[in-house]
Amino acid sequence: MVLEALEREGVEIIFGYPGGANLPLYQRLPAHPKLRHILVRHEQGAAHMADGYARATGRPGIVFATSGPGALNLVTGLCTAFMDSVPMIAITGQVPTAVVGRDAFQESDVIGCTQSVTKHSYLVTKVADIPRVISEAFHIAATGRPGPVLIDICRDVQQAEGGDFEYSYCSVLPGYKPALEPDLVQVERAAEMLAGARRPVILAGHGVILSHAEQELLEVAERSGTPVGTTLLGVGAFPVQHPLALHMTGFMGTGWNIKAVQNADLLMMVGMRVDDRVTAKLSEWAPKAESFVHIDIDASEMGKNVRPHLEVVADAKRALTAMAPYVKPPPADRGEWLTQIDAWREEHPLKYSRSNGHLQPQDVLIDMYRRCQDEAIVVADVGQNQIWAALWWNYTKPGLFLNSGGSGTMGFAFPAALGAKFGRPDKDVWCVAGEGGFVMTAQELSVAVEHQVPVKIVLLNNFSLGMVRQFQDDFYGGVRSEVDLTVMPDFVKLAEAYGLKARRVDRYEEIKPAFDEAQATPGPFLIDFRIDPEANVYPIVPLGKGLDDFWELPNGA
Amino acid sequence: MHSQLRVLRVLVEDNPGVMARVSGMIRRRGFNIETITVGPSTEPGRSRMTLTVDAGHAEVDQVAKQLDRLIEVIEVEDITDAPTVSRELLIAKLDKVPPTVEQYGARQLATGIVELTADSETVEEFIEFLKPFGIKELARTGPVAMRRSA
Repeated sequence: MVLEALEREGVEIIFGYPGGANLPLYQRLPAHPKLRHILVRHEQGAAHMADGYARATGRPGIVFATSGPGALNLVTGLCTAFMDSVPMIAITGQVPTAVVGRDAFQESDVIGCTQSVTKHSYLVTKVADIPRVISEAFHIAATGRPGPVLIDICRDVQQAEGGDFEYSYCSVLPGYKPALEPDLVQVERAAEMLAGARRPVILAGHGVILSHAEQELLEVAERSGTPVGTTLLGVGAFPVQHPLALHMTGFMGTGWNIKAVQNADLLMMVGMRVDDRVTAKLSEWAPKAESFVHIDIDASEMGKNVRPHLEVVADAKRALTAMAPYVKPPPADRGEWLTQIDAWREEHPLKYSRSNGHLQPQDVLIDMYRRCQDEAIVVADVGQNQIWAALWWNYTKPGLFLNSGGSGTMGFAFPAALGAKFGRPDKDVWCVAGEGGFVMTAQELSVAVEHQVPVKIVLLNNFSLGMVRQFQDDFYGGVRSEVDLTVMPDFVKLAEAYGLKARRVDRYEEIKPAFDEAQATPGPFLIDFRIDPEANVYPIVPLGKGLDDFWELPNGA
Repeated sequence: MHSQLRVLRVLVEDNPGVMARVSGMIRRRGFNIETITVGPSTEPGRSRMTLTVDAGHAEVDQVAKQLDRLIEVIEVEDITDAPTVSRELLIAKLDKVPPTVEQYGARQLATGIVELTADSETVEEFIEFLKPFGIKELARTGPVAMRRSA
């Protein structure tokens, strides 16, 4: 009955792993050829694949896991999806109802363990509840502010035959009323505030991408002459090379973005949480802002971190659509503000240095961007590789840069890239990862080979946990403690052992032929880029400091 | 000092685990439960909670907003600043029941056991009054509250 319900919800692919407590589901799976199942090598991989699938397609990613350790291996992946508002349905097997609570073999309190990393969860102990629970789960996961929903089903309950059963698509729940439409008085007021500001800045987050509001954002920005920055998860919500673009904001944002935020008299935050990586030290964030306008679908975000002067609790697209008719052209002196921002862009450009003769990660990414432009999906891992990939590509469209922003989960990129490719076979998909994160989920290379998933892996291998090393160097007295990863597998041989082609690159001149080979090779491909072990991310704000204290590439580096 | 205590009336689905979800949310967000009472509501399948919660270092409206995110929470009403009537129940076992308990509106339930239903301040006063008479055991429900009719 579970599988029939999934079919009715239009599910096409499941990422999972069988075990003792979900045997009945797997027994019936071969009779449902419409449900393609991808056998992962570790449940965490399944969760990240489902996450990548969901981020790339907008449809909920589906995960199966067994009870106890199987389900618990999903926790990191659920948290990753939860922090970034990604729709996902995890269906876990639970021990039979008769032994629940008796510490049965492979029993764990999965609901208890996942409560704080799911949007909602269900324990199903009655067959009759299956259709209702599944329809509710899809409704909750995919609407409002999306998120993962976990359904824990006792093994004996899974046994139920499908047969004829009533299935109705859930659309209303008494305790769940996502705010979608904005209050028109508030959006008119927001437009007035924008028109009355002398130095306004719009910041756009993941909510703009989730609600497909990029056109509306562009319209409001252009008509009002307001510069726009994005959060890490909002990268792509506004074209990076647009004259009004401020690129990425926050603690590793661009210098001109930071300057604009710190000098703005009005900040309009759209579809974002205003978290600590955006603000750095909160009390020193946007000190000249006289007003904050916050647009978000989640009412609890209002005043959670920053108390706005005007709140618009609504879907970003609907809010911006409703606002557009009220938006006025910029006042005559707007040119001064934009000229000032241009000056900051000149003074604080993104920079890197080739002076030490090593292969530089930025050169790798720039060559990669040159060939992909706006057509490929890039899935980044966590750490320096993530920030380089965010800053050194000129994303002009949303949904092309995927990464674990809120949770910062190492090991996310590779399985998420596989999930993205399963969901979007029409798109080239690239995985950008450091060697530290990559080995955390590298076992999924088997999945790439088994299904010949043509994901190209760009390993930025600096023989260390680069971001931690940089923090230790810069902010923790230069004590390099447990960040050395010189003893690692030979990644070319590792790839070959799994059955995919790979190549190693040590020098700048080898970048192009390596990418040529990767793109010419059908199926997966890995490039082990041996990059400068001392390469750092700049700008960066020292931990605990305000945005004004941002560091740039040291002179003479 | 600005009080961070919020009094909330919460209507929830009467499902297993709802208490854990509510208390888990409060813990996770750094709030603290001072009192909590739960009982059936007028609607079948739904329970009414009255909570007194310390918002800690968060903005005080966060308590209600975070609870409202829970799917099984149907309605949250912050009645901290609203005109309300509030009552809690106390029962106490004493070495000796003083004859004057009735001045507080309390009554004797059984040998050595008294009961008082009153607002929380009166309950506190009553406990002070009882102390010289030897309190052996004490049980309090925490307040239940509702808004006054307009």
